[in-house]
Amino acid sequence: MREEIIKIENLTKTYENGEISVRALHNVSLSIKQGEFISIMGASGSGKSTLMNIIGCLDRPTEGSYYLEGTDINEKTDDELSTVRNKKIGFVFQSFNLIPRTSALHNVELPMIYGKVRATERETMAQELLEQVGLSDRAEHMPNELSGGQKQRVAIARALANRPQIILADEPTGNLDSHSSVEIMDIFSRLNREEGNTVIIVTHEREVAEFTDRIITFKDGCIIKDERTGEVA
Amino acid sequence: MLLFENIKLALTSIKMNKMRSFLTMLGIIIGISSVISITSIGSSAEAVVSKEFQSFGMNNMYVYLNWEMVRDRPILYSDLILPEDIEALKARFPEDILYAAPSISASSETKVGRVQGKLYMQGVAADYHKFYNMNIAYGRMINQSDLDGKRDRIVIDEKASRHFFNKVNSVGETLAVTINGEIRDLTIVGVYGKESSLFDQLNTSDSYTTYIPYSLLQSVDDTTTYLELYTNGEKDQSLLGGDIARYLSRIKDKEPEFYRYESAEVQMDMINTILGTLSIAIGAIAAISLVVGGIGIMNIMLVSVTERTREIGIRKSLGARTKDIMTQFLIESMILAAIGGILGTALGIGIASIGMGIAGVPVIIDPLMILLAVGFSAVVGMFFGLYPARKAAKLDPIEALRYE
Repeated sequence: MREEIIKIENLTKTYENGEISVRALHNVSLSIKQGEFISIMGASGSGKSTLMNIIGCLDRPTEGSYYLEGTDINEKTDDELSTVRNKKIGFVFQSFNLIPRTSALHNVELPMIYGKVRATERETMAQELLEQVGLSDRAEHMPNELSGGQKQRVAIARALANRPQIILADEPTGNLDSHSSVEIMDIFSRLNREEGNTVIIVTHEREVAEFTDRIITFKDGCIIKDERTGEVA
Repeated sequence: MLLFENIKLALTSIKMNKMRSFLTMLGIIIGISSVISITSIGSSAEAVVSKEFQSFGMNNMYVYLNWEMVRDRPILYSDLILPEDIEALKARFPEDILYAAPSISASSETKVGRVQGKLYMQGVAADYHKFYNMNIAYGRMINQSDLDGKRDRIVIDEKASRHFFNKVNSVGETLAVTINGEIRDLTIVGVYGKESSLFDQLNTSDSYTTYIPYSLLQSVDDTTTYLELYTNGEKDQSLLGGDIARYLSRIKDKEPEFYRYESAEVQMDMINTILGTLSIAIGAIAAISLVVGGIGIMNIMLVSVTERTREIGIRKSLGARTKDIMTQFLIESMILAAIGGILGTALGIGIASIGMGIAGVPVIIDPLMILLAVGFSAVVGMFFGLYPARKAAKLDPIEALRYE
């Protein structure tokens, strides 16, 4: 029996924008176990990105509770959330979000800098991670010298920097061609299978979702479907 | 570790926008360089004044009749300072008055063959040269027997010697001068050499300074209203001056303020106080430009925070805490200001050196001033960087990540 790593209960998120309030998530409950490979699907505005931000500790729920590895995230301060993001979660974004004019190697080192890892150790680790995504020869390249697929691989290496348990990817293939998309998804599959990472991918592409073991579908802030891909097939 | 990373980061960011960084620093550079150059010029000027006064005799003092006291009545014989009064003063302050003589001088045209010139003749007592750092190159100085016998003797300087006699050693030659309407032939008994001082440069008159027995200049009697003293430098000059003037008033049976004194040291202190106050005042005005520079830094840091909103979002998502972002931007603005401070210091020293070089005066750079200037500019950077840094640190990570 695998351990439950993420537990969300009756979670609601409302955005107040002046007079109008928009309910992005409505009474969502969800449980994710360690080592799962999940995709979250839905049209834009369905609330999937909001959920992603809350799972990633970038945002807080309006109502309901979120337990990460058994601890209540609602009770943590902003700086404690920074530490959680630093140690337990690795982010991969649609637009890569590498720091411009900063080498690939240094980009990968960043989370370790905030995690107070020693400089020498940091560099060795960053080199190793770049090798893991097949980019050891691009370590000193600046982001604008890399192709989209390469940028996303650097971003994945960076997400892995402090050996977090959870990888959160928000439309990781959204800006990539189909060939690069397959490459990136292969890396995620490998991380899930070989390293045991819990990988959660937000996407609106069915083909991408097919790589994962469990697909959760959102509509209007609610989960409308939660299926195992094996079962469907 | 994080500090080192932040410094590296700040330097990269400054290098990335070279022109912008330089223009931002310019305010600080101008401010610091003005403060440094003004204070350096001020302290150099003070040093020059001190040096001139020292070469002239710091312990030079004059005791004189206070003319205000006799404005409404004719001068009486008893008001005048007599030779026995001088002796009484010397006897009362044997340790403190090293030299005392009536201060009298006169000017006269003179001619040797076809060479003409003007002499400024200062009346002195014996041993005058011992107190005023005079260097007698040839012959001797005016002595007691010249004084007692009212002998026609003169001591001239090397320049005058070359001018009139075309040689350095003119001992034994004579100069015809007019003293109190009477033509006298003065025999040169000594030639002195002297380094030219700033006061000499400022002195535009073309006369040569010479020394003769003061008794030669006293036409009617041996009284005087103006006394030149050379005093013991270990004493507080203003206290001593007061004591001497009061004692003189007492033995002359006059009101305490009847005689006054004037001390070179007291005068110098006064000039230096004025110079010091002046350079502080101008320096303070220059310091205002530092505030302007600080506002420039704040402005550019706000621009930088806006430009890098997304970067801040990324850093936060990777685990940067509020403190980390705050430190990053604070260090950047401090380094910006400190580099400006260092450049400004260099420029200020340069300006002071050029200015003082033109005036022919050695520059005095106060190291404390430099430390203060660079330190102060870093403080300015920190102060004006605080608001932009806080703004950056408080950004919401999701909104920052969405920023285009």
